Amino acid sequence: MTLRSFIRHETFLAILLVLALFVLSWQSDRFFTVANLLNQGRLMTETGLIAIAMTFVIATGGIDLSVGSILGLTAILTGVFWKNLGVPLPAAAVAAIAVGTFAGYVNGLIITRFRVPALIATLATLALYRGLAEGVSQARSVRGYPDWFYVLGQGEVLGVPTQLWILLIAAVVAAVILAYTRWGRTTYAIGSNEVAARFSGLSVEGTKLALYTMSGFAAAVAAVIFVSRVSTTRSDMGSGIELDAITAVVLGGTSIFGGRGTVLGTVLGLCLIQALKNGLSLAGVKGDGTIMLIGIVLILAVLASAIFERSGTR
Amino acid sequence: MAMSGVDLPPVRPQTSLQRPGFLRRLMADYGQELIVLLAIVVLFVAVTAVNPRFISANNLTSIFSGNAYIAVAAIGMAMVIITGNIDVSIGALIGVLATISGTLAVAGYPIWVAWFFPVLVGMAINGLIGILVAYFRIPSIVVTLGALSILRGGLISVTGGTWISDLPPAFLIAQQKWLGLPVPLVAMIVLTVLAALWMRYSAFGRSLYAVGGNPEAAVATGIPIERRIVAVFILNGFFAGLATILFATQLQVIQSTVPPNLELTIIMAAVIGGVSILGGSGTVIGSTLAAILFATIGSALIFVNVSAYWLRAVIGLLILATVLADMLRRRRTV
Amino acid sequence: MSADTPFVTLSGVSKAFAGVKVLKDVSFDVRAGEVHALLGENGAGKSTLIKILSGLYTPDGGTITVDGRQMKLTSPRDATAAGIATVYQELLLFPELSVAENIFLGHYPRTSSGAIDWSAVRSRARDLLDQLDTRELDVDTKVLTLSVAQRQRVEIAKALSRDAKILIMDEPTASLVEADVQRLMGIVRQLRERGVGIVYVSHRLPEIFALADRVTVLRDGAHVATRDIGEVDERQLVSLMVGRPIDSLFPKVEAAIGDTVLQVDGLNRGRQVRDISFSLRKGEILGIAGLVGSGRTELALTLFGMTPATSGTVVLDGKPVAIRSPRQARDLGIAYVPEDRGLQGLVKPMAIRKNISMATIDRLSSGIFIRAAQEARRATEAVKRLGVRCRSIGQPVGELSGGNQQKVVIAKWLETSPKVLILDEPTRGVDVGAKAEIHTIMGELVRQGVAILMISSELPEVLGMSDRVLVMAGGRIMEELSREEATPERVGAAMTAHKEAA
Repeated sequence: MTLRSFIRHETFLAILLVLALFVLSWQSDRFFTVANLLNQGRLMTETGLIAIAMTFVIATGGIDLSVGSILGLTAILTGVFWKNLGVPLPAAAVAAIAVGTFAGYVNGLIITRFRVPALIATLATLALYRGLAEGVSQARSVRGYPDWFYVLGQGEVLGVPTQLWILLIAAVVAAVILAYTRWGRTTYAIGSNEVAARFSGLSVEGTKLALYTMSGFAAAVAAVIFVSRVSTTRSDMGSGIELDAITAVVLGGTSIFGGRGTVLGTVLGLCLIQALKNGLSLAGVKGDGTIMLIGIVLILAVLASAIFERSGTR
Repeated sequence: MAMSGVDLPPVRPQTSLQRPGFLRRLMADYGQELIVLLAIVVLFVAVTAVNPRFISANNLTSIFSGNAYIAVAAIGMAMVIITGNIDVSIGALIGVLATISGTLAVAGYPIWVAWFFPVLVGMAINGLIGILVAYFRIPSIVVTLGALSILRGGLISVTGGTWISDLPPAFLIAQQKWLGLPVPLVAMIVLTVLAALWMRYSAFGRSLYAVGGNPEAAVATGIPIERRIVAVFILNGFFAGLATILFATQLQVIQSTVPPNLELTIIMAAVIGGVSILGGSGTVIGSTLAAILFATIGSALIFVNVSAYWLRAVIGLLILATVLADMLRRRRTV
Repeated sequence: MSADTPFVTLSGVSKAFAGVKVLKDVSFDVRAGEVHALLGENGAGKSTLIKILSGLYTPDGGTITVDGRQMKLTSPRDATAAGIATVYQELLLFPELSVAENIFLGHYPRTSSGAIDWSAVRSRARDLLDQLDTRELDVDTKVLTLSVAQRQRVEIAKALSRDAKILIMDEPTASLVEADVQRLMGIVRQLRERGVGIVYVSHRLPEIFALADRVTVLRDGAHVATRDIGEVDERQLVSLMVGRPIDSLFPKVEAAIGDTVLQVDGLNRGRQVRDISFSLRKGEILGIAGLVGSGRTELALTLFGMTPATSGTVVLDGKPVAIRSPRQARDLGIAYVPEDRGLQGLVKPMAIRKNISMATIDRLSSGIFIRAAQEARRATEAVKRLGVRCRSIGQPVGELSGGNQQKVVIAKWLETSPKVLILDEPTRGVDVGAKAEIHTIMGELVRQGVAILMISSELPEVLGMSDRVLVMAGGRIMEELSREEATPERVGAAMTAHKEAA
């Protein structure tokens, strides 16, 4: 696959996105307003941060199913550290993010040290981290955060939702890393041929460990933003978010087998999904219908890329 | 499928071929199963010592009957994993099938239609999944992740989260007894034994091990891998359908949700029962025993006063420990 | 001793992949009760021919006749039904299943009720193994615990269980130690007595002279000759294989041999690297000969830090070093061009440019960014210097021919400016032209003072290119020979003189 086919996939996505925006704004005059679009951006930030990290993970041929549980655990810990242990909120949030990051590191350790397939490892920690979140929370939610905290999830900076800035910065940094640095190159090399990467003296284990840790970090940051956006913490926060993230990544052209994918593609995939979700809800379809849509889009996207790939190489 | 007169585990004839160390071979073939069985026994003895009410008839019924559907679904899952695939949509599927079943029962269709039509639906849905996996070469994890959200989203948007009640009493087969034993228990045992015999004594069953153990060699042996994969998913749908009958007929109402992480429990029952996560080995006896072990642990934690809130964390830890142990064991032998 | 009517006949068979003809109008036959050796260099078309016979490939043209009837072998099942069984080099067994089940998988004995008759499976498996004099093997053990030689016997028993009339053996002795080779040859003779026709693929000429009744040579996908074994000698066979006398093949460049670069003493790692000591000097090509499994590659992997040594010393340029990882080996000036180009050497979907820079990507980065212009310039230079034929440096490596791919791997490692270059099978699966070019590159490198350690299964290559030859067997160096001492006979003898019977 050459650079040309990347561009082709992303151009295709962009056209699809423009088309979707066009149809949706024609369908409902409430859709194509600055307020609505910015609000959609607000809504997709958590999934977006996770999907950007997931792009790297999937590009190495791995997967991280535990991100939703890490999000839930971090959210709960933020609340519990602050309310029950009396830690100042900023410190509580940082400590919770540290735990979430560590949870990602543990995933990486299980995968690199014990050579457990990423799918199984993160499926197991999905259960573990969610269980921990439930155990810590004892089914109580934490509310009543100070006003300044809501700036993150509900406020605006220069007229744009605060968290959208974070997503934007994360996307740009990640895109640059994946495309122009040796870490990005190593990520692709591992995904295409892990053995050859190792034989070229690249640090395969170290890179993977770092990526799963980053994935945990992204989920943890998303958790704090999530709490700030919805003003409360519950232990079931973020369940199923892994699916949204994976769908965005795969829709964005990243091969589920690894070796191929871009951050730009993921962001486009993300926007497309969010636009469809928003359009459906404006058209009166309830929230659960959109879950279905994500499933259908995921399967169709992989099906298309599987057919495309088979005709493309050899 | 005629298998009269054979016992499980297969008793090898005592001939001159018989080498000393029958026990050793039993350990080699059914090691993981025996360990799980031992764990169940130890757990029963220990918890009963703390709280004798643990082995009351009531609790035993709730452990075995209440979780039989997990064991039945795990049979199909074990077969899928043996071929080197996975199905994470099974929990959502059971939820959907239960709703279909209940709706049919309330709408006045004959009881047997309400029971078995969902089985056919399960087979059809999984057949489709199997085709996507086998012929379009999409990893089963991706297909079933997609199926999971389609089924889950579809279920909630159709039912709107309402419960189905006023089920006809005759429909509630899971509450009935057969020869003095709860029907789910009987169903679990019969299905496990039949499936185990079939996996051991039919060429089809053995070919599933071949597909998961070494696909390339399976092709060279003339086994049609794609057809086997589709077939194993259809079988998985079949067992999910049977599991649904046991699940949906437990209570007077059918909720539009299934227990959280049901698919994970089912997958892990198969894995802890000795089915290699990489495919190619394991038995359905092990998966059923592991399902019983899970149920026992769940019940035991309550009886020794572990907070219900920590239940899933404890189970998660157990799952992780088993996966790591499985991996270490594998690395030692290879 | 052979009945003269062939049991299987291929006539005028052709096969092409993606427009490249790998078999051109080849005819071949096997009689019952004969051993028919199939010879040819890598890429000559032997394995394609075998796969056609075993039903894995369908030929594009030509006919297959089995036992007087023309038939199509479109699947392995067809071939099995026609009485043709194959023992592949990479053995196709199921590691998690028992020996007995592996033998009968797909055609189990049944009881009257149709269920698999496990006691018959076990007792018949026992019989078959006993017939092969393999009484020590328990039919209930899982295959994953067996040695290569034992697995091979399971494969042969599997073929017999299907009543094979023709048994194809693809390099059966490639990874066996000598004692097992002898045993295998005994089994082959015994099968021939029973009237089984055997297609025997091997590179080892002594084995062929000891076993075969007839020999067929392929070259570049075409049939060159079929002879009775009595009609030919070793020299003639080799020249039939390579198409010209060997002497002209390896243009040895005389380079000035300088000081010792690498001194290895008492190096150990596992069972395959035992007490290895040798030295390597500037401008020298040190050849390592040995069978597959003799520890050659394992030695290379240990020197490269992939599997670090457990004891022993390595002195590089006079300084003792401990090599723990490939990255560290690279920094010390040790490079390794691996044996398996596709798996270990290249990231095939990636561009030539990215493959060439892969081992030096950190050195090509300033701050966090890759200096793309410099990367492209270096790749362009390397492609020109080594004569890689490609459209552009942006072309995916997977699209290149074997020889050009190999040049890319070499280019990648030359980017690290190595002092010691380890080449593992540098010309495997490479066509004759590219092979000569790679040899020329090697000559160029030693002239610049690089020290080369070359592992090769091809004896003429080792003898033709090396200044000195180390012969390995059983993880040890059996003999060290100078260029003058290294005759095919002497090296061959040392290769198979395994002191410890396995």
